[in-house]
Amino acid sequence: MTDYNALSDAEFRADVRAFFEKNYPAHLRFLPRRMRWSECRDWYRVLSSKGWIAPHWPVEHGGMGLAPSKLIIYFEESERAGVGRMPDQGLTMVGPTLIRFGDAAQQRRFLPAIISGENIWCQGYSEPNAGSDLASLQTSAVLDGDEFVINGSKIWTSMAHDATHIYVLVRTDRQAKKQEGISFLLVDMKTPGITVRPIRNIAGHEEFCQVFFDNVRTPRANLVGNLNAGWTIAKGLLGFERLSIGSPRRPFQALEQIEILARARGLWEEPAFVERLTQLKLDLADLESLYSRYVDKVRRGEVLGPDVSMLKIWAMETYQRLSELLIEAAGEYGAFDGEVALGDETVVDVLSPFYTSRPGTIYGGSNEIQRNILAKYVLKLPT
Amino acid sequence: MERAASSDHIGPLADSVTDFVRRRADVARARRLHAGGAECDRDFWRALADMGWLGIAVPERFGGMGLGLREATIVAEGLARALVPEPFTATAVLAVSLIEGGDSEPLKQELLPRIAAGSLVPAVAWQERAGELDPAAIDAVAVPFEGGFRLSGAKRFIAAAAAADGFVVSARCADDLALFWVSADAAGARLTTHRLADGRASGTLVLSDAMVTREGMVASPVVARAALARALDRATVVAGAELVGVMARTLELSLDYMRTRVQFGKPIGAFQALQHRAVDLYLQQELATAVLAEGVRDLETIADDRARAALASRVKARASEAALRVTREAIQIHGAIGFTEDCDVGLYTKRAIVLSAWLGNATAHRRRYARIAARPEAHHD
Repeated sequence: MTDYNALSDAEFRADVRAFFEKNYPAHLRFLPRRMRWSECRDWYRVLSSKGWIAPHWPVEHGGMGLAPSKLIIYFEESERAGVGRMPDQGLTMVGPTLIRFGDAAQQRRFLPAIISGENIWCQGYSEPNAGSDLASLQTSAVLDGDEFVINGSKIWTSMAHDATHIYVLVRTDRQAKKQEGISFLLVDMKTPGITVRPIRNIAGHEEFCQVFFDNVRTPRANLVGNLNAGWTIAKGLLGFERLSIGSPRRPFQALEQIEILARARGLWEEPAFVERLTQLKLDLADLESLYSRYVDKVRRGEVLGPDVSMLKIWAMETYQRLSELLIEAAGEYGAFDGEVALGDETVVDVLSPFYTSRPGTIYGGSNEIQRNILAKYVLKLPT
Repeated sequence: MERAASSDHIGPLADSVTDFVRRRADVARARRLHAGGAECDRDFWRALADMGWLGIAVPERFGGMGLGLREATIVAEGLARALVPEPFTATAVLAVSLIEGGDSEPLKQELLPRIAAGSLVPAVAWQERAGELDPAAIDAVAVPFEGGFRLSGAKRFIAAAAAADGFVVSARCADDLALFWVSADAAGARLTTHRLADGRASGTLVLSDAMVTREGMVASPVVARAALARALDRATVVAGAELVGVMARTLELSLDYMRTRVQFGKPIGAFQALQHRAVDLYLQQELATAVLAEGVRDLETIADDRARAALASRVKARASEAALRVTREAIQIHGAIGFTEDCDVGLYTKRAIVLSAWLGNATAHRRRYARIAARPEAHHD
């Protein structure tokens, strides 16, 4: 077994780069959407058999056990190669949660199946009446013998139609304060009583779903951590998630599309366009400066504080502004669906970044919620 | 500037700036000077020299501390937080960098020790047209004659002009640029000043056949252009640090006010409309701080002139825009009291206006950045 942390940064980077370049399928590079399981299953297995599917997990659970500085390199090279986002909830959320809060039996049962790709997980957090106010969730789980009986529904569940398992936050105590009556449960999607309804988004993709629970029975052994401790567990899962959401990568892709379009349409001579583009380029360049501050923190092994919320705000709002300029700069082509041929060689999907950037200010805690967090925990403003 | 070998002194330096400002330079002092239109008190100036800060960028062999951009930004930011009007950046960074980057050893020996000691205040007269950041875009000429040069032209937007004992003047010379030391009392040199928003003065120096001896050439055409570009980029970054100091203090004042001012039975900081406004200001401050940190870290080591200029422009563009926004919105957060002369926020706003306009405002720096970054090879990876 290779001790990757013993390699020099340069050696490790070269290894990772070479591997991604050689093995990642060309047609999946820089996709403007999340990958479906059917598209990325083979890639998942390639990574898995190489032992590289879980770079941040400890070695004893099948991960690479990378130190933060190596992990940053892994992610940088993954972004550089244009590796798309797989259904990765098992790797990013369930695995780290079970490693931290799960018991030995849960770890044995679920972790190897995540590594192998046998189990694909999705996240059951939001509900029709519990979005930003997640703690008001109402999906209930009642203990009946050795099983919980779940009723209710979860929504905005990304890739639920590809998932074999779902982890859900459920209400297990109606008397307690709302954050203190929530538990964290693991559920097999094949369990009778579960219905999945895909929801088509405005881009025409079916990436998220509503999941209905009608007397769904899951073993008591699938309770993670203590009963009614689910809120604390869910909150403990923030970290790399918040860093990756603030990455300059996606806004940078939108900028590249603008520059391609500008060349094709001869916009470089238009002062109004150049001024606006320059402003956005600087917004993006300054995002990179801010992002690297947090990357350095992670590299030094520091825990990220609530101030990291500002990365998400600036990354996603910059991304949206760029996507809007792309449409504006396209003129009449700005209304064209799908790929647009401009000139001899140039093909630009003008609307794709617009659609992709829209939910960025909504999911993972809307930007308004991020501002509330910053106001309360960083600026220490009164409530 | 030479790079410091170790960074162990950074913390103590920042502490000593804070301590000095607390003892010597509260905002009440800035307010008095603002009212009187004074910007360089000679006793205070000597105190800055005693701290070593006027010589912070002066090489040790000329009586300075021989430190780098990082140290200069710490001093500048600390002084700006207290609205110190004395022109630290214009002299201790811009003028010193320019003289040091020149190729006249005798002038370095003559001027730099006196600048470090606080007994000589230099100003830099490089610019002629508003919005023009190219130091070569000038009309002033230096016509050689036996024994020296006759300088003619009009130099504008000169910081520290009112207090200056002499000027480093750029002029066209032998189809290129050169820099000259012109004493404030030189025949043929006439200085006028215009009051700035923060009470300081912007100088215009009109030269009519002002005579400079051959020994008065600070930088010959061989080095002048490069020395100017480097010195201006450094000063631009340090001006960015001043702007960060101004916005940071203004945001602190605003957040304090939001925690204590009560309306509708609760502190106004509990209202979400104001909270989100404050968060957006904080975000701008942190962006400016992050770019400044990158500028401080990389400016001295970037070999490529264009990349260095792009970085300096990023710092000044963000810091200028952010400081203007933070100070402007601080007035709004304070309500009517924020618009009164008694409230410090107005002083910070006016300092932000002056610092933003100096050495190129956000628009000018974005344009410069666009010219540089428009070339594909300058794209970041």
